[in-house]
Amino acid sequence: MDGNTQIPNVPDWIAEITVPELERDPYPIYERLRKEAPVAFIPALGLHVASTKEACREIASDGDNWHGFISPAGGRTFGHPNVLNVNGAEHKELRCMVDPALQPAEVDRYVEDLVRPIARRYVEAIEDKGAADLVETFCEPVSVRSLGDLLGLQSVSSDKLREWFHKLSVSFTNAAVDDKGEWANPEGFTPGDEARAEIREVVDPLLDHWEKHPDDSALSHWLHDGMPEGKTRDRERIYPTLFVFLLGAMQEPGHAMASTIAGLWTRPDQYDRVIDDPALIRRAIGESLRWTSPIWSAVARQNQRDTTVAGTFLPAGSVVMLSYGSANHDVNDYNAPSDFDMDRPPVPHIAFGAGPHACAGTYFASEVCRIGLEELFEVIPNLERDLSHEIDFWGWGFRGPKELHATWEV
Amino acid sequence: MAFDVKLKSLGKTARAEPDQPLLDAFLRDGVWLPHNCTQGTCGSCKCRVESGEFDHGNAPLSTLTEEERAQGLLLGCQARAKSDMVIEPITAVEDDVVHHPLRDVAGRIAVLEDIARDTRRLVIELDDDMTFLAGQYAEIKVPGTSAWRQYSMANPPSETRRLEFHLKRTEGGIATDQWLFRRAAVGDRVELKGPLGNFGLFRPQDDPAILIAGGTGLAPMKSIVQHALAEGLIPEIWLYHGGRGAADLYDGEFFEALADRHPNFHYRPCLSEDTWDGRCGMVTDCVLEDFKSCKGMSAYLCGPPAMVQAAGKALKRRRMPPRRTFKEEFTTAEHADAPLAKAG
Repeated sequence: MDGNTQIPNVPDWIAEITVPELERDPYPIYERLRKEAPVAFIPALGLHVASTKEACREIASDGDNWHGFISPAGGRTFGHPNVLNVNGAEHKELRCMVDPALQPAEVDRYVEDLVRPIARRYVEAIEDKGAADLVETFCEPVSVRSLGDLLGLQSVSSDKLREWFHKLSVSFTNAAVDDKGEWANPEGFTPGDEARAEIREVVDPLLDHWEKHPDDSALSHWLHDGMPEGKTRDRERIYPTLFVFLLGAMQEPGHAMASTIAGLWTRPDQYDRVIDDPALIRRAIGESLRWTSPIWSAVARQNQRDTTVAGTFLPAGSVVMLSYGSANHDVNDYNAPSDFDMDRPPVPHIAFGAGPHACAGTYFASEVCRIGLEELFEVIPNLERDLSHEIDFWGWGFRGPKELHATWEV
Repeated sequence: MAFDVKLKSLGKTARAEPDQPLLDAFLRDGVWLPHNCTQGTCGSCKCRVESGEFDHGNAPLSTLTEEERAQGLLLGCQARAKSDMVIEPITAVEDDVVHHPLRDVAGRIAVLEDIARDTRRLVIELDDDMTFLAGQYAEIKVPGTSAWRQYSMANPPSETRRLEFHLKRTEGGIATDQWLFRRAAVGDRVELKGPLGNFGLFRPQDDPAILIAGGTGLAPMKSIVQHALAEGLIPEIWLYHGGRGAADLYDGEFFEALADRHPNFHYRPCLSEDTWDGRCGMVTDCVLEDFKSCKGMSAYLCGPPAMVQAAGKALKRRRMPPRRTFKEEFTTAEHADAPLAKAG
């Protein structure tokens, strides 16, 4: 692994942490990490994690010293150069490629016309059924269709887009390493490799078309914007970042929508208020992003010089995962952090990160969630949790309910 | 001295006296601001302060919390300016409805009659016009006291000189028990101010409507039904009026006659504690029986809070979007010496 050449002494309880355990429920482990070791080396991951809000913010905000660094499994999944692991001028160039369509003022221009018909279509498909897994039938399809259409992938079905992000996600979160620092489950990268090959097969002809016939789709802009007349951007500079989008940006608004509903179901009084007053949906989404941050522990940074953070000495080249999902449960900022409570004092969460690598899609993702939930609650105001199913949250890199079963009177 | 208070995004300004609530100043200057109860209990008139000095007046902490105060919010119906100010309502101001300015009017009691158990109709002939929207309310000054009470107009907005109100007696209440049901007489002078309130039929609608009234919650419905039928503003209307016994219902003949003349109007009185040859049961249960789906419909609800909440829940079960459910609850006079406020 890069960095982390000097493995510090690790207490037994940290040495015993396993990735499956983190994926099932990272909160108890992280509660102890925040108290006892806010920046700690986790042997199962082969790198450090930062678990407190202060440590995450300190590292994320200092872009000069702490460079964007893709987690090893993420790098293996996306390839280089992607927007997460480049820095300085190269990072700026990739952000100039992806940012224009995602600026709030630009999002405001198109988001209603883009997302509302999509959300309406998916809610119409289930409204007379009386029961559904909302993750599969609503949250994920609305999320992938919205971004898919924005990118210009109208010809790719929502199910295919969902399949791609699921496969990429399996690879991305295949983080476990053995005691030599080698991949513990190399076969875990196969689904991501398959998805990448298929994506190129589908997207290459579209890029061929946009090279000659540019249009207003985001991918067409990625090809042409900022390039000299008659030239288009090299596809090898586009694909790694497109893979980042086809995973994170496709999956996470769906996670956020599902977690918001699941959170509200823990607070029937707040759920009623949100159904009655859709203006509260934004507040509910904000609390949900804090409560179950979709990008729970998926971004990393590497320091350029020796640094001490939260009392831990980190020699230059150390890699630290920023566990935003843990930072957002920091008791220094939030009372009873594991409770969903949209009325809690509005202390800003760090679910979208900070500094030069802060999420480019913050506003777009929030708007997709807002419009999706507005349409769902408008058409099915009698939506209730199906008590015959458990709500099973899963994931350490990315986190959200695997399924979300609802019932309603038809 | 008075101060200029400006709405940031609309750019409109009102002149507010130091002892005048900001909401009152705007409504009197013909500038509409979202509001409902004007008593500091509903919170619908919250505004963000951009600049200027003010005091919160009698804003209760339960409506405007310390945190909200720290974030620079105020209640328009309670706050007083202490300098020129710039504020912004936190709810969007709908600009497609012409609202009528708040004004003081006076008049004489023309009709005072018993219409149901502990319920009286009060008709006031005004000296001057008071224009309003169907469903809105006025505040009546209780003669011989400094207390004001809120009652919805039951007449259609086409009648601007003769206002009809329905009042239910509250044991010990200074407005009803001690005035209207005791001292008041035809010919007495009465002071009012109005119109006020967010509730009502403010624009034509394409969706059919269910109107649910409990007790004197019938008053704004009577205004809405007459206005809608006269102007063709709602394609089809079902009016449910709930009472405990037959003695609690009133104006049945009026609505029966209206239903005879208008095939798109249906009148359904319901009794919760009596049997008769009409509908029996809680008014919300009757609605649930009659409608298997309320998708694509809207509703207007007025009555005691428990009834309004139950009706809201029932309509949600039938998949009526809450956005299309308009509610007016009887509220308690927070700062008055006797409980009773907006009723009927």
